[in-house]
Amino acid sequence: MKLTEIIDRLSLDVFTPVPDPEADVGGGYVGDLLSNVLASAMPGSLWITIQHHANVVAVAQVTGLSAVLIVDGKRPDDAMREQARTSGVVLLGSTESAFEVAGRLYGLLVTER
Amino acid sequence: MSPRSIARAAARRGIGLIAVADHNTASMVDPVAEAAAEAGIGFLYGIELQTREEVHLLAYLDESSACHRFADLIYELLPDRPNRPTYFGDQVVVTLDEEIVATEPKLLVNSLDLGFDEAVALVGDHGGLPVPAHVDRETFGLIAQLGFPPENLRFDLVEIVEGVLPDGFGSAAPICSSDAHRPEEIGRRTTRFTVNATTTEEMVLAARRIGGRSVACVR
Repeated sequence: MKLTEIIDRLSLDVFTPVPDPEADVGGGYVGDLLSNVLASAMPGSLWITIQHHANVVAVAQVTGLSAVLIVDGKRPDDAMREQARTSGVVLLGSTESAFEVAGRLYGLLVTER
Repeated sequence: MSPRSIARAAARRGIGLIAVADHNTASMVDPVAEAAAEAGIGFLYGIELQTREEVHLLAYLDESSACHRFADLIYELLPDRPNRPTYFGDQVVVTLDEEIVATEPKLLVNSLDLGFDEAVALVGDHGGLPVPAHVDRETFGLIAQLGFPPENLRFDLVEIVEGVLPDGFGSAAPICSSDAHRPEEIGRRTTRFTVNATTTEEMVLAARRIGGRSVACVR
């Protein structure tokens, strides 16, 4: 499913430009341990996390993730947004919990297919 | 662990300098400082901060007053969740003579509402020495939680548990400390500093190997 469609269907906040609106999201990954995400997340996935340290941007970039979805209403600071923007990493947000967002994303990507 | 039992165990094991770095609190530094003086060993004030990312960061300070000012600020960043003694035990504050004078109501194992980078800056602002704790450990270590050291930060000293310093810490020097939670763990890991005085400034100079000073984990 296209990233822009997911943003729309899940009513996500968009903190950075979306360089490629046609980008396809192949799956999701939920994790707050960045070492674990580095080791296990699949490229093209949407990463759901409560972490909003600047290292999140670098992890998303090197892992080739389609976007980072920061949940629980937590928000990236200006420095993180700027770093994401220059790295081409998409930062999204939701006030919902990881459980709720992951459930709805699973519905979109897996159950409805 | 009572203040005197800590200081005496350290002295008995040939340790010349100890620090107390309790989790998000400095409530027990003064009685242990007194006990260290009694036992004839050096003492550094400390706090182990747990940041928003669940990274442990040690803050070492030279003076009691600075440590308490810092601790007061940290306390405001600790969530207002009560301790549950049945799970976590009582968080008691005792004197040198082991008299219980207070019980900390807030749960100290929680994370502060403070990001890692902010925490490092805050320690420096208070004249403290920030040292990432047990960076190579799978729980609460910098590498596990954040993947790698943030590029914008430089440390003089980094605590490791075993092996070698992970990549990405530049010219930082590794230190090893016991992280003792029980008496028998005191001194299980130590560091040898060659310094002119037991101050944080001298520790930094040792990390930079200035003027014949040095620092190395004891293996």
